[in-house]
Amino acid sequence: MTLPSYVARRTLLGVIQVPLVMCGVFFLAEALPGDAAVTIAGDNPDPAIIAVLRERLGLNEPAWHRLGDWLAAALHGDFGQSLVGPRSVVDIIASAAGPTLLLAGLTLVLLIPLSVGLGVLAANREGSRLDRLITSTTLGLYSAPEFAMGLLIVTVFAVQLRWLPPTAVGTSLLSNPAVLVIPVFVLLLRPICSLSRLIRAGMIDAQRSEYVRHVRRIGLSPTRVRFAHALPNAVTPAIQQLARTIDWLVGGVIVIEAIFVVPGLGTTLVQAVAARDLPVIQGLAVVFATTTVLVNLAADVAARVLSPTAEAGR
Amino acid sequence: MTVVDVRSLTVRVGSRDIVSDVSFSVGAGEIVALVGESGSGKTTTALALLGESPSGAQLTGQVEVAGSTVDSSNSPPAGVVGYIPQHPSAALNPVRRIGPVLREIARLHGGGSPVQQRVLDALRQAQMPDGSRFLRRYPHQLSGGQQQRVVLAHELVGQPKVLIADEPTTGQDAVIRAQLIEELRAVAGQGIAILLLTHDLELVRALADHVLVMHRGSAVESGPCLDVLGTPQHQYTIRLINAAGRNPAAPPPVLEESTPVVSVRRLVAGHRRVDTLHDISLEIRPRDRIAIVGRSGSGKTTLARCIAGLHPFRQGEILLWSTPLSPLLRRRSFSQLARIQYVFQDARASFNEFVPVLDQVARTAERLRGLPRAEARARAVDGLDRLGIAEANATRLPGSMSGGELQRAALVRATLAEPDLLICDEITSGLDTVTHADLLDVLGKLQEDTGCALMVITHDLAVVAGLAHGVLLMDDGRIVEHGRTADVVALMHEEASLGSAG
Amino acid sequence: MRVARRYAVPGVLVRRYAVPGMLVAVPVLLALVGPVIASDDTTKDVAFVLGGGHWFGTDFVGRDVWNEVLLGGRSLVVVAVVATVCTYLIAVPVGLVAGMTRNRLLDEAVMRPLDLLLAVPSMLMLLLLASVAPGIPWVLIGVVVLINLPDVVRISRAAALSVSARPAVEAMRLQGESRIRIGLGYVARAMRRTLAADLGTRFTGAIYLVASASFLGVGVSPQTSDWAAMVDRNRTGLFVQPWAVVLPALLIVMLSIGVNLAFDRWLRDRAMEGVAR
Repeated sequence: MTLPSYVARRTLLGVIQVPLVMCGVFFLAEALPGDAAVTIAGDNPDPAIIAVLRERLGLNEPAWHRLGDWLAAALHGDFGQSLVGPRSVVDIIASAAGPTLLLAGLTLVLLIPLSVGLGVLAANREGSRLDRLITSTTLGLYSAPEFAMGLLIVTVFAVQLRWLPPTAVGTSLLSNPAVLVIPVFVLLLRPICSLSRLIRAGMIDAQRSEYVRHVRRIGLSPTRVRFAHALPNAVTPAIQQLARTIDWLVGGVIVIEAIFVVPGLGTTLVQAVAARDLPVIQGLAVVFATTTVLVNLAADVAARVLSPTAEAGR
Repeated sequence: MTVVDVRSLTVRVGSRDIVSDVSFSVGAGEIVALVGESGSGKTTTALALLGESPSGAQLTGQVEVAGSTVDSSNSPPAGVVGYIPQHPSAALNPVRRIGPVLREIARLHGGGSPVQQRVLDALRQAQMPDGSRFLRRYPHQLSGGQQQRVVLAHELVGQPKVLIADEPTTGQDAVIRAQLIEELRAVAGQGIAILLLTHDLELVRALADHVLVMHRGSAVESGPCLDVLGTPQHQYTIRLINAAGRNPAAPPPVLEESTPVVSVRRLVAGHRRVDTLHDISLEIRPRDRIAIVGRSGSGKTTLARCIAGLHPFRQGEILLWSTPLSPLLRRRSFSQLARIQYVFQDARASFNEFVPVLDQVARTAERLRGLPRAEARARAVDGLDRLGIAEANATRLPGSMSGGELQRAALVRATLAEPDLLICDEITSGLDTVTHADLLDVLGKLQEDTGCALMVITHDLAVVAGLAHGVLLMDDGRIVEHGRTADVVALMHEEASLGSAG
Repeated sequence: MRVARRYAVPGVLVRRYAVPGMLVAVPVLLALVGPVIASDDTTKDVAFVLGGGHWFGTDFVGRDVWNEVLLGGRSLVVVAVVATVCTYLIAVPVGLVAGMTRNRLLDEAVMRPLDLLLAVPSMLMLLLLASVAPGIPWVLIGVVVLINLPDVVRISRAAALSVSARPAVEAMRLQGESRIRIGLGYVARAMRRTLAADLGTRFTGAIYLVASASFLGVGVSPQTSDWAAMVDRNRTGLFVQPWAVVLPALLIVMLSIGVNLAFDRWLRDRAMEGVAR
């Protein structure tokens, strides 16, 4: 398959995925116990009031009908009103997106150079003490939950040593960058572990390959051999892993925002789930799912461009 | 002028000599062949010219290249010794285009003319006059022959004094081999010394000035090519030459008018959307031995797999004793399965690695001949024993048996079905010359004993000449030649040389 | 063979597995034995005190932290193990069938919906699904299975696909063997290596999800003692009584790291035995 036709096919898959995921999210939110009427009725669960609210909110209509209305409105960028406060869903998401984008963007920017550096470093000293340290650390921390790691780090560096602020309460992220250090570090942990391990393995494979031995015999300098011949081969599997990373980042952001009290999308989601604020949950789910689909798409296409021998992706 | 001088080279790992006391020299423009099987020490000897040695090895003796001594701490200057590894495809970086890598190497060596010019010159020297067309391609977009020439060009850019070619003909078809002979001859013509590592005696005969026969690390015989191959002295050399040049089999007692075992009529098959077999028709008569030859990708394996039911065909029909066969294996009856059996190229991969070989061989008789388990087992033991595999040996897992043993066990597994047609797909590739010759003897004997027809897929003309009565030459999914063995083989030699000239 | 025998020597085994073994053993033993030895005395003291007759102080409602730690590991370990086992029980047969079938339609029908599942971020799915019926372990198990399912089905399918393209399978088909015999007798066995390599990652992944769910308040019910829930509920007192957070967080991290390291060691030993054989 040629590159343009691959990209076209892959994009088509993404275009199908988004509305299907939206439908899935809608029905999931439907399945949550209680509905909008119950939520609004709040502490005063009078059945008569709930019935009136249901009628007014159109909740007695069949689910398919409401799904259609919701999708149509969503297409116009309208995700409805929050049930809990007076604001519209789009407004809530827009104001919470800033801190989240800052956290995730900073993490992504740091992620690639750090994991390539760490992976290449370990591969160059294969078998040395440094390599063993890097390998076992990255292996061990690969799936340590962020909340546990995060709170342990906070306890040591913020509570005991008092080097860094423990939460983001009361300051803006931009005016006080020290607030960002621990959250970004914890967010980076899992993706760095998996990416640097892949880079290391890829570098070691490439360094042992016949094509690297061949150019080494010809007399190319070790630096050129390492970075121009071995590294490009090691990077491709890591790019594909980047697609998984976005899944972890979304998860990490939700947890990290909860720990550090960052007023971002994750905190908004956790609060919305706790308050059964269905429109907000649905809107956020669409945002997260669409981002995931887009990043997956980009990573697949990038991997395909970087690896000319790749067969048709999925 | 002597370019390479090796005196009493010994390479020792632990207490074992991988290479012991080998001496030879190569002059400018001369071609010297190191002949021997894999494991005979030829690659280790050649890598000593580059100052490389296996880890933990001790080198003694003297190696001189272009007048200066080479050892593990003194590699020759970059570019002086060119080395073309066994599989050129593995020596090309899959994610780098051809041109940038060549330019990178050219820049390394400096020189008067511009980089681009030197790259094109090297490609021309490597018999790629239209090389500029390939510069933007990736290695996987080139054919095997082109890949080999690109690797050759990598070395020629540095204007080497010596070129080492490691098993350059392994896995290459007749056309590429003929081209390769031309390329190497042209390189030697430019005054470059060539060291050829090979077990391919035909290649040696066509190219080499001097021959050094290696066996288990020692040079058992050496001298001018014609002397060594014409009047071999050492026992091992004689065996090697006999195994390679077998006499053609006796003409068959084939009755032309008998009903064919299998007839293929206007067969069309393909992969995905592309047809790879077009309109194939052929007949195989009882007791016949036919060889299907052709370069890789010519469709020969697909044809054989269609007959066996492993690859569903799209149009046409295949008749077994005048009854049409389903394209799908699972629609064929047990007796139809039994009548056509298939032996795979990679014997090791064709066995279940978790079950003893004997049990797997016996399953054929149990399943396709309906024998009770004990009797099936007895037959399997008997059949394996006849091909020289003892019962104690066969009750082991495939992992602890050699490639040659497994290939024979695979033959027994197929013949226990008492087939009318036995298809053998490249079953000698990957075996060394002597094992290879043994297997052909076994196959011939087996066919005489069982009276089945034999269909052999190969690219090795020695197999064709030694075994087959008739030959089908395939190219691009069509049968392009069909005839008696001697005629077709002669024709193929001619075509191969035409192909290289064109 | 020689390598395998060398590792069979107990001393070497102990040395090689000491660190990962201890990292796994401490939390697992606490989780499994803890509830047995925990005291039934649930009298409440003052919240967030250090000392005062308590080894590790008291928690946010004045319960003894050590007693809560003893009680709170079982849910995490048991739910993660059951979820991992269930994932494999469902995913491997599905992957085997999808990989072995020559029916493109069936293959697509199985695999395409899984692509869709992959497009939903797992933490989002966890939050939404687990909050449908919070506090019920089976719901949490089901969600974790659902999140892990696409990956394990893909891995099994890919393994089955590559195994069934091997000549060994074709040779068995030519012998007239049934599909079930080929599938169970060969393909499934040949897949074990690939699946074993995945097992460690999958199990720590399950621990990760189960713990994170409880931390976010959608895992266990509010009355249950649970390490991850302890971390969440006690973090308001981090400055006065860090033990109530540090102890359970440390145990979760230890378990996760230990499982990863132990599986990695085990896989390496297996690979070496394979080479030696």
